[in-house]
Amino acid sequence: MRSLIVNRSVRPYLLLVAIIVALWLLDAGRGRFFTAATAFSVLQEFATIGPIALGLGLSMIIREFDLSVGGMMSFAGCIAVLSGARYPELGVLLAVLFGVLWGLFQGTVMVWLRLGSIGVTLGGLLTLGGLAYVVTGNLSISYPRMDVAMAVNQPVLQLLSPRSIITLAAFLAAAFFMARTRIGRDLYATGSDRRAAMVAGVRTDVILPGVFACSGALAALGGSLLSYSLAAASGAALTDALVPAVAAAIIGGVSLAGGKGTPIGIIGGVLVLGLLSAGLNAIGTPPAVQDVVTGGVLFLVAIADAVDLDPRLFTIRRYWSDMFLRRDLDKSGQAPAE
Amino acid sequence: MSDQALSAPWRLPLPHSTGGRVLVAIRLAAVLALVGAAATTPGFFTTVSLFSLLNTMSFIGCVAVGMTFITLSGNIMSFALSVTLSTSGIIFIAALPLGLAGAMIAALAFGAALTGVQGAVIGYFRANPIIVSMAALALITGGATLITQGHGVYPQGNATAPLQGRVFGVPMPLFAFIVTVIAAQIVLSFTRFGRQLYMVGSNWRAALAAGLEPARIVLGAYIAAGLCTALAGILMAGRYSSGDMELGIGYDYHAISAVLVGGTAISGGEGSAIRSLIGAFIIAVCQVLLLLHGFSTQVQYLAIGIIVLVVIMLQTLADEA
Amino acid sequence: MDVKVVLQAEPVAGAAKAAAPIAADKMGDSEPKPVAGGAAIVGVRQLCKSFGPIAALKDVSLDIGAGEIRGICGENGAGKSTLVKILTGVYRPDQGAVVVDGVAVSVATPRQAQELGIAIVAQELSLCPDLSVEDNIWLGSLKVPFLHKQPQLRKRAADALALLGASHIALDVPVASLSMGERQLVEIARLLTRDARVLILDEPTATLTDVEIERIFAALLAVKREGRSVLYITHRLAEVYTICDSVSVLRNGELVATRPLNGLDRTALIELMLGRPSGEMYPEEARARGAPALVVDGLSLPGIVDDFTMTARRGEIVCIAGQVGSGAAEIITALAGLVHDASGRVAVNGRQLKLGSPARAARRGIMFVSGDRAAEGVFRRLSVLQNLVATRLREHSLFGFLRGGALRAAASQLAKRVGIDRRRLRARADELSGGNQQKLAFGRCIERQANGVLLMNEPTRGIDVGARAEIYRLMRSFCEEGYALLMASSDLEEIVGVGDVVITLYRGRQVGHYRRGEVTMHRIVADITHPADAAR
Repeated sequence: MRSLIVNRSVRPYLLLVAIIVALWLLDAGRGRFFTAATAFSVLQEFATIGPIALGLGLSMIIREFDLSVGGMMSFAGCIAVLSGARYPELGVLLAVLFGVLWGLFQGTVMVWLRLGSIGVTLGGLLTLGGLAYVVTGNLSISYPRMDVAMAVNQPVLQLLSPRSIITLAAFLAAAFFMARTRIGRDLYATGSDRRAAMVAGVRTDVILPGVFACSGALAALGGSLLSYSLAAASGAALTDALVPAVAAAIIGGVSLAGGKGTPIGIIGGVLVLGLLSAGLNAIGTPPAVQDVVTGGVLFLVAIADAVDLDPRLFTIRRYWSDMFLRRDLDKSGQAPAE
Repeated sequence: MSDQALSAPWRLPLPHSTGGRVLVAIRLAAVLALVGAAATTPGFFTTVSLFSLLNTMSFIGCVAVGMTFITLSGNIMSFALSVTLSTSGIIFIAALPLGLAGAMIAALAFGAALTGVQGAVIGYFRANPIIVSMAALALITGGATLITQGHGVYPQGNATAPLQGRVFGVPMPLFAFIVTVIAAQIVLSFTRFGRQLYMVGSNWRAALAAGLEPARIVLGAYIAAGLCTALAGILMAGRYSSGDMELGIGYDYHAISAVLVGGTAISGGEGSAIRSLIGAFIIAVCQVLLLLHGFSTQVQYLAIGIIVLVVIMLQTLADEA
Repeated sequence: MDVKVVLQAEPVAGAAKAAAPIAADKMGDSEPKPVAGGAAIVGVRQLCKSFGPIAALKDVSLDIGAGEIRGICGENGAGKSTLVKILTGVYRPDQGAVVVDGVAVSVATPRQAQELGIAIVAQELSLCPDLSVEDNIWLGSLKVPFLHKQPQLRKRAADALALLGASHIALDVPVASLSMGERQLVEIARLLTRDARVLILDEPTATLTDVEIERIFAALLAVKREGRSVLYITHRLAEVYTICDSVSVLRNGELVATRPLNGLDRTALIELMLGRPSGEMYPEEARARGAPALVVDGLSLPGIVDDFTMTARRGEIVCIAGQVGSGAAEIITALAGLVHDASGRVAVNGRQLKLGSPARAARRGIMFVSGDRAAEGVFRRLSVLQNLVATRLREHSLFGFLRGGALRAAASQLAKRVGIDRRRLRARADELSGGNQQKLAFGRCIERQANGVLLMNEPTRGIDVGARAEIYRLMRSFCEEGYALLMASSDLEEIVGVGDVVITLYRGRQVGHYRRGEVTMHRIVADITHPADAAR
């Protein structure tokens, strides 16, 4: 049992169970919450946030950080909407292709110029956001194919939709890749200790562009499908996807220090957030509460993952015990037995 | 005993590495190109366009100065300065019954507290600064929306009139911005705190080993950022005579763009408030140039994004040593 | 110590004979071609490599034959690590080439080195802490297919560990949970599975017990019998004489000699390494011993150091000798306040010091000079001037404002004191050489009241021989002014040359306490590797 709790990828599912129980209690038998509609909306949320959470998570596993996923989501949505009027698959394909190329560009720049990912992807975020902004002219471009918009969100088995199925497929492919293939192992190695991996013979200078290409592709996939489902591409609204994506990845067990975390765990993280949001919605709390809850959870996780947490807690504990020792000393006039 | 070395003839402080020198050349060329473009654009040197340029620059500039403290400390950037700006503006307007000075103090204290908590967690626990600022963004946004119910706050009468006036013939926001830059630069260049900030940003572990207290210094940097941002919030609230969550949107990106374009290193330990002033100025000039040539705000936004990307890529030349 | 060497020779040979038939099978799919030792398979020609102004290798040429075990000896800074890093593709040479089978090749990446049949166990372990033992063993190997969890690969990994007597290490645990010695064995297991033609081992036995060392030697002899070659880099001359056929000596970046070990006696070898009689580099001993400046009583770091006690007097240099992981470096950092869970009583100049805060330690007069300059010592982007005065800002400031003139004057004085050219005060700190950076670190420590305690970790790591003499002189002059100096070092020659008091450490426990003149390098090695009364 202990090893289950300690396992980073199982934790989000334990948290999921805890949330379900809490919401069931809050619901108090009124049946507002446990409906197929809630489950469907949770899985739709999964399809929205999931791809960028996975892409961002992969970049965190190699101890980098792809800030540009938010901007990629917006701009890829624009590409898909503009080029997918006749053949929607073409729209998605072009968007994903762009995501791959942009990711390769960012990764290659990082390797050749020996730059950190935060700086380069920040520039990428601003540029992609700007491109989306320019293309949409600060309005929404509408997507003429309402039939596609419906089809993409068509409920399958009451719970899923083509969007969530595609997202789930992407996650499962990533999970297999990370757990079973040599390249997956090399990704973990690159994140765990890049220098050691390179010396052992891992091609870290190929892995970086590769991972950023994946995160770009995933963000593009998610963004294009989302734009189809909304029947519109919007310039600004999607750059706020970054916060839930980060939260989902971290809750899902990915560590900022690299080398840890799995796609299955990230699914759990996304579901936790989705459930929190749907649940809070269903029992009637205002949407701003979700922001507070997401922020609070992320804050706590940031502290839990903090580098100097243990030393500081240790010092605080010792300070307290010193204080108490001194009090005992004062009282009895003799040092207590150690 | 005179020290010949220190009284040697002053030579141009060029960097020693070839990469560093190429970078200086590129920067010089860019500035010259900008000046050339400004000179050849009709309407650039009119009062109206310069006026609007300086005004926009002032708000972003104040936040950029605050962001500079955070970047210098080695913590890259904060995603929460935009909401700190908005909420400080709201607090300012809401506290106006206490008088102008009282409201300003309340808003400044509020801004400093918001960023101070983040600084404490980042400094004492060494939590990841990006994640903490994102968490703060969500918390503050949610909290503020719950409290204000999405409405703006408006002042009674024209209590904010003094903020819309001029000082020595210069619009108040610009004046306040310049004062902020000067104050920040004095702190960075001439105080012990400023020097220690550069050391912490350069190498946290070395600063710790040398007996400084990096946690305290990082906390100080975030408090300074909060003060600058709250000041911008006060000025904006004064300008628009309202406190609203909409006011600060996007300012994190504008501010970090100004900081980076000005030449402050994203990895910390190198840079200054004056550089951020220059960066804000360059960005504002580019925006006005594009505007006068008929490009929309969206294209301006894109142009800034590309400039930031290029500036970051050029940073590699600076680190060649 | 010599007696022990003779006794060791037999068990090793015996183990080799017993292990040989099994080893040949376990070496898996490499085709053993027993080549008569002699045909050179790998070598270097006129290799030159400089780092800035420092020439690490000057025109080095050597060859290794098939089935040969070659020792590489030399002091710190002689160029051994650089040579090996060029062979394994981590560095590129400025001039010269690596030669494989008579053909000059370019080894641009570690992967290429693997393709050429060169494999290494480096001093700095290259294991990924989050990956399992099995994954680490096969990490980066060219033989791993796309789906990397194969039963036969797992078996080979287990066999390699068994050969080294390390079957108790589970294949699925993350390497982060292993001890230093276990990690070293995993790294050597990786080496064995690479089936390389040339195996390079750089100081592989620092964290190992005698039994483990014997098994490694047995494995190396089996490798030799298959016609493959070994480059063995070590400080431990006893091991060189046990396992190697011949030795190449590097000094100051140059290849001094390559000799067969038969007929080369130890003194001659040491003379080749040092190039001069031992005494010249080190200043004289302390002239007077003062009052106790630092008293440590019962210092413990959970899991690392147990009940360490010592006294350092003013004017003395105290050296703590221990291998990696023995706790020597950790004692120094704990006294500097960088370790939060250290416990014990420490008194500086008679006053109690609470551990855990570097700022507190600094206020008491403790100054810490790290061996890892880049990580802990130098503010690379700041100027030399700013670096020098980094710790004395408070005394030259008024109401929080810095007094620029006073700071510049102070920096100028400090630079003069430690021998840094004052024209470089405005240069960026990372433009200085390693030796100058270390002097910078010293300069920061000079206090006006001279009763401080200087703590140093590997004071001359990465510093070339020329600059080291200067550093030793500085250390001695500090002590003469009344400082006490406590240092941890793994450079045995340095310890014997510089230390007024030498304390040896084995696995966190104190083993011996010697005054200058009572101790030799051999004695220290004996203590820190296998003390007579250590329970295992």
